[in-house]
Amino acid sequence: MLAKLRDPSEKALAVLLLAPAFVLLLMIVVYPIGKLVYNSLFAIDKGGAFLGLQNYIDVWQDPLFWNATQNTLLITLITVPGALLAGLALALLANLPFKRKWPVRLSLLLPWALPLSFSGLIFAWFFHTEYGVVNDILSRLGLQSEPTSWLLKPRWAFAAICLTVIWKTASFMALILLAGLQMIPKSLYEAAEVDGATPWQQFWQITLPLLLPSIVVALIFRTITALQTFDIPYTMTKGGPGEATETLAMLIHKYTIDYSDIGFGSTLAVFMFVISLAVTGVYLHHIGKNAQ
Amino acid sequence: MSMEARGIWSSPMLRWVAAGLIVINGFFPAVWILFTSLKKEVELVQKPITWWPHLPTFDNYVRAFTDQPLLSYFKNSMLVASVATVLSVLVSACAAYAIARLNLRYRQLILTCIVASSMFPLVTLLVPIFETMRALGWLNSYAALIFPYVVLNLPVCTLVLVSFFQSIPRDLENAAMIDGCTRVGALFRVVVPLAAPGVFTACILAFVNAWDEFLLALSLNSSPAVRTLPVGIALYQGEFTFPWPIISAALIVSIVPIALLIAAFQERVIGGLTQGGLKG
Repeated sequence: MLAKLRDPSEKALAVLLLAPAFVLLLMIVVYPIGKLVYNSLFAIDKGGAFLGLQNYIDVWQDPLFWNATQNTLLITLITVPGALLAGLALALLANLPFKRKWPVRLSLLLPWALPLSFSGLIFAWFFHTEYGVVNDILSRLGLQSEPTSWLLKPRWAFAAICLTVIWKTASFMALILLAGLQMIPKSLYEAAEVDGATPWQQFWQITLPLLLPSIVVALIFRTITALQTFDIPYTMTKGGPGEATETLAMLIHKYTIDYSDIGFGSTLAVFMFVISLAVTGVYLHHIGKNAQ
Repeated sequence: MSMEARGIWSSPMLRWVAAGLIVINGFFPAVWILFTSLKKEVELVQKPITWWPHLPTFDNYVRAFTDQPLLSYFKNSMLVASVATVLSVLVSACAAYAIARLNLRYRQLILTCIVASSMFPLVTLLVPIFETMRALGWLNSYAALIFPYVVLNLPVCTLVLVSFFQSIPRDLENAAMIDGCTRVGALFRVVVPLAAPGVFTACILAFVNAWDEFLLALSLNSSPAVRTLPVGIALYQGEFTFPWPIISAALIVSIVPIALLIAAFQERVIGGLTQGGLKG
């Protein structure tokens, strides 16, 4: 027995090694998903009677759900392309032949390592109406005579949150794209140079097509995280003013934790799960295609 | 294109401007918070606002620790992130070794399953995790955060470690086994030492992830005694009338350890991140 443990067969060893990971995945990912669906169908806090689709109908008729869905989709549609463009610009700049690489690298890593919630707090202070640096700069440049109440007006608050999300995520995007840029063979550019291609042409003919795989992967990852946006709006506006910046994740948190309405929270989570599953499907399809 | 234009493209001038833009983009928020943390309240409410603190003071740092249990938040964060890191890397290393080295029939499928788990939004798992922890009586405990964080870290750590294990020549391991080592013996004597850089990279990524997490920490551990830094600092708001300098000081205190960590191991972190991102 002891000898067997010390040198188990390959199969036994594989099971032994993979077991902890899969037990944890079962407990914290698979079981919860089943539980969510159960919660959404039964009166979980009121005796456990079968409710059918009542929760789903309630969610469907809840204006807060539609408001949060709209905000979440808008944040995704604005910040994902925004972070891609900003990240691409940062990556192209960072790819220049610097003598010392560490200041640039550290500058790209710092926003990634900063907790989302801290970014939210810092930018809430940036966008402070009276003492914020954003209004200070805008006033000094003569772009506004009256300070803008960034976080107190629905549209401005939404814009401030989107800008914060883009700043926070563009650096990670840049790191992924930079790795892609560095894999493009230098000889291609040298050949293009010989043929008289302008930098502009080189960008469109060489850089962008060869970078496309990295861009797609970065976009899918970013889309999945954008759909879950929680920390930044929570720390900047708590979803306000009113519910102008409330996302789906915040609504789920509010119903589950603040109102202790597990059934409604679970039903909202099922909706969110389905949306994410669609994006994940696209992703898995994409890597499946690449693996072939 | 003329020679001059191409000259601009490769000129040192452009490099300086580029480096300046990147550094300002990365550092300005942290530097601004540092300035704010050094200002007295009288200076903070001056109009127009000052940039450089005229009368720098460390009062806000003292108050960050005395007005709020910042030290306790710091200890909680450190404890949760460290334990979660060790467990994440242990569990991932086992799985990654099996995926990289053993003769598995469904190797790719197993890896895909682990990676796909990171695609599920954490917030959808919040409800059942909250219920489970409530049922276990684990709300407001370190374990309530540690176990979910291990799962959170599993995909990226496994990806990083699989590619490290794959980069270690199989012959070394075989040679050790021919010399009379068991497979487990070869694992610990040959593979583990050679994989140390990979394990270290996985540790850093896991630690940063756990250190930064907000949603679960906010929802599961609401009691001040077990609050982690992100939650503790976010809840400063509202408990004070005008706590920005103190919040800023607390933010600086919490950012410094992570900033030092990534500054010391930049290349590793970037290598790990892009591996996790690109390979997936």
